[in-house]
Amino acid sequence: MNRRRITGVLAAGLTAALLSACGGGGDAGSPSGATGPVTLKVLTWEPGGSEYWKQVKTAFEAEHTDIKLEMQAVPFDKYPEVQGPYITSQSGPDVMANNAGLELFDRRGAYEPLGAKAAEINKDLVTYSGACEGFDTSKPCYGVPFSYQGNVLYYNKQVLKAAGLDAEKPPATWEEFSAACEAVTKSGKTCLALGQSGTFPAYWDFPEIARNYLSEDDIRALLAGTISWKDPKLVSVLTKLAEITTKGWANKNAPSITMLPDGADIFQRGDAAFAGTIISDAVNWEAFGKALGDENLGVTRWPVINADAPLANKFSGIEGAVYGVTKWSEKKEAGLKFITWLAGKKNGELWVQHGKGQPLNKNVDKSLLPSSPAFQKIQELIADPTLHAGVMLSGPEADALARGWQQVTLGQLTVDKWADQMQRALERSPTKKQGK
Amino acid sequence: MNRRTAARIGRYLLSFALVVVAVAAIYPLLFTVISSLKSQTGFAHDPLGLPTAITFENYLEAFRRLDMPRLLMNSLVTTAGGLIISVLAALLAAYAVTKLRIPGGKLVFLLVIITLTIPGQAIIYPLYQTVLDLGMSGEYQGLILVYAAFGLPLGTYQLAGYFQQIPDELIEAARVDGAGHFTILFRLLTPIATPAIAALAIFNFVWMWNDLILPLVIMGGSDSKTLMVGVSLLTGQYDLSVPLVSAGLIIALLPVLIIYLVFQRQLVAGALAGSGK
Amino acid sequence: MTISTAPAPDPKVGKATAKPGRRRFRPGQARDWWLGAAMVLPAVALAVTFKLVPLGRGVSTSLESSSGFGESSFAGLDNYTRMLDDPTVLSSFRNALLVVATLPVWIVLPLVLAVLIHQRTPGWKLFRAVYFIPYTIAPILVGIMFRQILAPEGPLNTMLTSVGLEPLALEWLNGRYSALFSLVAVALWSFFGLGVMTYLAGLAALPDEVLEAAYIDGAGFWRRLFSIVVPMLRATVAYWSVLCASGVLIWLFPLIYALTQGGPGDATMLPEFLVFQTTFQFLDRGYGSAIGIALFVFVAVLSIFSVRHMFKEGTRKR
Repeated sequence: MNRRRITGVLAAGLTAALLSACGGGGDAGSPSGATGPVTLKVLTWEPGGSEYWKQVKTAFEAEHTDIKLEMQAVPFDKYPEVQGPYITSQSGPDVMANNAGLELFDRRGAYEPLGAKAAEINKDLVTYSGACEGFDTSKPCYGVPFSYQGNVLYYNKQVLKAAGLDAEKPPATWEEFSAACEAVTKSGKTCLALGQSGTFPAYWDFPEIARNYLSEDDIRALLAGTISWKDPKLVSVLTKLAEITTKGWANKNAPSITMLPDGADIFQRGDAAFAGTIISDAVNWEAFGKALGDENLGVTRWPVINADAPLANKFSGIEGAVYGVTKWSEKKEAGLKFITWLAGKKNGELWVQHGKGQPLNKNVDKSLLPSSPAFQKIQELIADPTLHAGVMLSGPEADALARGWQQVTLGQLTVDKWADQMQRALERSPTKKQGK
Repeated sequence: MNRRTAARIGRYLLSFALVVVAVAAIYPLLFTVISSLKSQTGFAHDPLGLPTAITFENYLEAFRRLDMPRLLMNSLVTTAGGLIISVLAALLAAYAVTKLRIPGGKLVFLLVIITLTIPGQAIIYPLYQTVLDLGMSGEYQGLILVYAAFGLPLGTYQLAGYFQQIPDELIEAARVDGAGHFTILFRLLTPIATPAIAALAIFNFVWMWNDLILPLVIMGGSDSKTLMVGVSLLTGQYDLSVPLVSAGLIIALLPVLIIYLVFQRQLVAGALAGSGK
Repeated sequence: MTISTAPAPDPKVGKATAKPGRRRFRPGQARDWWLGAAMVLPAVALAVTFKLVPLGRGVSTSLESSSGFGESSFAGLDNYTRMLDDPTVLSSFRNALLVVATLPVWIVLPLVLAVLIHQRTPGWKLFRAVYFIPYTIAPILVGIMFRQILAPEGPLNTMLTSVGLEPLALEWLNGRYSALFSLVAVALWSFFGLGVMTYLAGLAALPDEVLEAAYIDGAGFWRRLFSIVVPMLRATVAYWSVLCASGVLIWLFPLIYALTQGGPGDATMLPEFLVFQTTFQFLDRGYGSAIGIALFVFVAVLSIFSVRHMFKEGTRKR
């Protein structure tokens, strides 16, 4: 410790000398004095885009003149590397975010639980259980969500027509989808635009199949790590996932590309009939409508495999990013004010207008909602939600799901072996150990 | 076919091979420039072809979204600081080890060089903790010193190798003339080593300028972003506008090219001086 | 543009004045000792503070079993023994060996190009300038570009098909080996210009007469290269080898990130990416550190010959 301090002082002295010698350098972040407004440091990956966050800052600061927001934006894919060191060293931002579900629960030690205030703060939200332990609002909640997220199947009406299909009646069952894919493939286009790399398979595709085999209790068991991947229900899910590619529905390079941007680009280019992507943020009705024309864009639920399954016709919905106050923050009051504001009506409206997202706040002015027919259809689809199976997976499980699917697609792995690998990944998940 | 014709054909073939490599080297840059002139939908429809309509909107947007003067200053201060300190520290260490031949010099040399093989991903947590312990997180000096430490081993090796070949007599003659060690190092050896220093400068400048993870982890806050961090933020969580990012990266590339052109002259001059021509 | 990494300032002078015998410190030179110590201090301080101390802390983390961000407990060598029967770890190191096997290409290709430029092959000025460009392009952009270029219907395959090499127009990133070697090729594309620059520098410091004599002598290109140029450039070749040996696995990291995420399966999984995943995505910091330490040992062993060479270069006594 002593040696480190000495070397540090020496090195710092050297730097200081150097900087002044260079004739400049600049002040290294001026510490704001004790007087004046409180400065809140907010760590964010800017879901919804930088324009939306600019609006948040302006609008919030206008309403709260005693608080200044200092946004620390980090690219989404670098977020864990920046946030991790803050959490282990218990230092850094006053407010930060994680995705609802296991990602948030794994980091709950970094957030100040809202306690009894949770219900009050979140009272106008359609749902906020994803911010609470085990999706249970009676347990500790760690923050505030304001967007709603989930997967739907977008389709290109022109491609369907060119393949001789009814563009107003997209395939609703697995069999119909199979037949449609045959027709589309014959017409020279890709049926389902797909990228199997990264975490997209786990969060976007898996829950849509899983709804046909799992009950809500099963999904909770998935979160707790108490259901085996060799369970017939989960093996069925994997089998159906495998069919998507082994039946030739997807583009050939699916195993080596990510859904974003590459998979979605195939669809945006008009080279594919279907793409399973999200309802909020990006690559949604808004972007696709711009690329293909609103009149050519259709939206439907992923095809149903088991019509009798209790969740088959529901929407696997999940809150988006959850913003919470950090445990080490010395400005918890101000932080609480900010996240409370995030849950409010004003932010819900900014989110719709500038973030192109699905708001959770019930009081958002309906006249602000987009008029796109695809958006309207999505409002119907999400009306009957259920738990989202994807966000229950741990990092190793999400990873093994993607890798196994790639190998199954390339013929290097059988579904049974894939299930074995999933089980190993579950047993290897450090954060699910306590769930047993 | 006589030998001379054969030789000429050989030369043409060689030139052709060099041309192929050159095309491979330059094509992706052209691709980026072309991408940066397309609109987002234009790119999605035809990522590879020439743009149907040229737009400078991406550049304007990049300038709108990035606080250029601030980002540029942050990048320049940290990169230049890291560069200068690593070269200075390397010069001193190389001189002490190769010319003063201090006892334990070999050990010092080994200690410095072995740090070259420490994988960066493995030490992000402890590195941040260390920077934090020193009270340097979010401060310029934190990033500058870390850059300096990361640039140090190769610089030390290169300069030590260079000094090694300079005869001791040169130094002893200067000593007899009454020159101190610092005079010898900075007035005599450094000019001779100009090419090596220029090479180091280019190599280090480029990676420090383009680095993402160290500035993100160490600098944190919004005001101390480097230019490359700013550019990387042009991508959203899910949407990646290749044209916009391309425009941002072309902007970020310009200072690198300028530095390259500046140091290139030093390289020529130094090499000539060094080889006594 | 010429960069001299390890020049030989007029060898004749060096030889004539070289003096045998090693200088040792005599008691009267105590002042020099203090001066020397002061001179190495900044370098030692930097290396210790920002590299060795974090490494030491990493080693101590690797001996802990951590579960997410919760409490961690001492686990001895568990994390290390766990690696031995983790198929992903094993295949990541196997892939690393495959990458290392391409090092001769990394060392020879830039050398050949540099020699061709140095002997004034027509157009050499242009080539000299153009070859350096890829190195200046930021890694995140390299990933974006090559995702397009390597696509099944991308420009690379279009080009191969148009010159009648259709069988070669693969789905580059889908194959067990083609994916890994595509990534290596992209990394090589990024860095060969740096190698050319490094070698040109070394070449510029050589006396022209020797090279010209060999040229007029009519010696074949390869013979000239390996029996005359390489021996004279030994120091530069060694420097570049060290740079490649210690860098190649790290240089691939951003490409893996942008292009394949280690897939398909674990075809392009390399230790550095696995450290990243284990530490930051799986939240298994102890295990991630252990893999990181294993990688450190791997790279250290790999570089040992080069490092030993460096060591000799740096401290050799005349």
